[in-house]
Amino acid sequence: MSENILQVDELAVEFKTDDGIVKAVDGVSFALDRGETLGIVGESGSGKSVTNLAIMGLIPQPPGRVTAGRALLKGEDLLQMSTRQLTKVRGNRIAMIFQDPMTSLNPFLSIADQLTEVTRIHLKLSYEKSLTRAIEMLERVGIADPGRRVHDYPHQFSGGMRQRVMIAMALLCKPEVLIADEPTTALDVTIQAQILELMHELQETEGTAIILITHDLGVIASVCHRVGVMYAGKFVEKADVDGLYEHPQHPYTLGLMESIARLDEEATARLTPIVGQPPDLAHLPPGCAFRPRCPYAVDRCAAEEPPLADGPHGGQHACFVDVSTAERKEVVDG
Amino acid sequence: MIGFLAKRLLWMALTLWVVFTVSFFLMRAVPGGPFSEERKIDPYALEVFEARYNLDEPLPVQYWLELKRTVWHGDLGLSIRKVDYTVAEIIAEGLPISATLGIVAMAFALTLGITAGVVSSVRRGTVLDFSLMTVATVGIALPNFVVAGIAIVLVVFIWPIFPAAGWGGVQHVILPAFCLGAPYAAYIARLVRTGMLDVLGQDYIRTAYAKGLMPRRVIMRHAMKGAMLPVASFLGPAVAGILTGSLIIEQIFAIPGLAYNFVQAAVQRDYTVAMGLVLTYTTLLYTMNLLVDISYSYLDPRVKLE
Repeated sequence: MSENILQVDELAVEFKTDDGIVKAVDGVSFALDRGETLGIVGESGSGKSVTNLAIMGLIPQPPGRVTAGRALLKGEDLLQMSTRQLTKVRGNRIAMIFQDPMTSLNPFLSIADQLTEVTRIHLKLSYEKSLTRAIEMLERVGIADPGRRVHDYPHQFSGGMRQRVMIAMALLCKPEVLIADEPTTALDVTIQAQILELMHELQETEGTAIILITHDLGVIASVCHRVGVMYAGKFVEKADVDGLYEHPQHPYTLGLMESIARLDEEATARLTPIVGQPPDLAHLPPGCAFRPRCPYAVDRCAAEEPPLADGPHGGQHACFVDVSTAERKEVVDG
Repeated sequence: MIGFLAKRLLWMALTLWVVFTVSFFLMRAVPGGPFSEERKIDPYALEVFEARYNLDEPLPVQYWLELKRTVWHGDLGLSIRKVDYTVAEIIAEGLPISATLGIVAMAFALTLGITAGVVSSVRRGTVLDFSLMTVATVGIALPNFVVAGIAIVLVVFIWPIFPAAGWGGVQHVILPAFCLGAPYAAYIARLVRTGMLDVLGQDYIRTAYAKGLMPRRVIMRHAMKGAMLPVASFLGPAVAGILTGSLIIEQIFAIPGLAYNFVQAAVQRDYTVAMGLVLTYTTLLYTMNLLVDISYSYLDPRVKLE
């Protein structure tokens, strides 16, 4: 099972903005094995989407630029590939599902057009064969009457159905890696569960490795094997899903968990939000980026940036303080 | 679709009737008539002429007679000033010429406009984009008779590769069609560039790249249709503009098309010819707008004709 598929080392991405250079991703590393699901959590702007767009070579350049790092897909560096080489990988060996199914399908082309072109290009299938395959795939993702629906246009499908179509599209070529960028955020809760279940089923049968990007810890807990928590373009904590949920080591992870409602808590328990705003990436404070919002911060946090170090839960975390024993202070917003 | 067409044809009939009525009374309201000239006409001959075209009748009777002849018999009548010509004959002679000019101008405007717009948007922010859009802005600002003047100086006098005027061969079409289509090419180029940039920023374009399509295919197959929508809506006004533009261009290049005859008829108060041509232009414009609406539903599957 532990066959390594994707290895990302020290990835860094910058964007040029009017406000100066923004380091959207700064030294991100992770590995992904066959059949494994890696969850990446973080607030908006934490760099989780940019990391994965960079792997796919989909960072708009300019203003974006990959400044350092490697992304090895079975040993081949995706970041060094030409456009032509990348087009052979995209949609074929690595596929991606996006957040908003309402805008991610082309409204001017029928579902058949949009599905068949993938297999025609990558697998060189004839139109008839690729159409048959598209219909099979639609059936697998739970679209009723796929033989007829395949000729419909996106506006004739609901949001959940469109996300199913997106998943079908992503899985047409049986990719080794599936990157799902907030695949359920735009959907109703009941549909969310169905979509996650569907991805899980397909992973079981195809052995696809999945990177699941989300800001929803509940989603992570239900489907992921390992989790990485991102803050200000860096991983601040990485661990197995059980270790992370039982013993979160980073104050930010802890904050995220305290800010969601739990069924096993008393109804009167108050939610504790994380105080303050996500940092301005163009003007990061020295030391730990989370320090201004951290209830456990000590003097050292302002001077030095904590490195990722092994933690007691078997994973890694980037914090000087042991949250299980440290004193918790009131953080003043602003 | 059938219901849509039936409804639009009904509207067209109504439009033609309104245009007929307004034109009829406007023409009569203008001072002078077909036979008012500096040269004195024999009063008896004048009486005969006027009787021949019902011009001696009271205005409401003239209106009724002309409407009846046009609608009931489908007959646009005789030309008042071009002796021995029916209006239908004048249209039959002029229409192919004007249509050739208009179609070539339109084809030129679309080809050049779309190409320049796509290139500009794909190479956004480069010198090429900047130069193309500068030329386009100038092109929109210059009226076609100025373009025609400059073009004649350049390629007729300084570098004589085109004839100055006339009609007959391919060489006679190119220059007037260029002058007629140039402002529309410029406008279409800007529309396509804006439309393309808008579409290229859409999520579904990112999806297309993520599927592993080459950039050329993404642009031609996934972005083109969306970028063409504004152009399709502009085609209606563009056809109208090319029709009116031909009034000037046919005069400048002495092309014996509809517009040339129209101007002559207006100046000479040739009521029947002017009316026939107004109705022809109305029909053309209405039909083109109908085609544009239909093309819209082909471009965008979300649009339903009703």
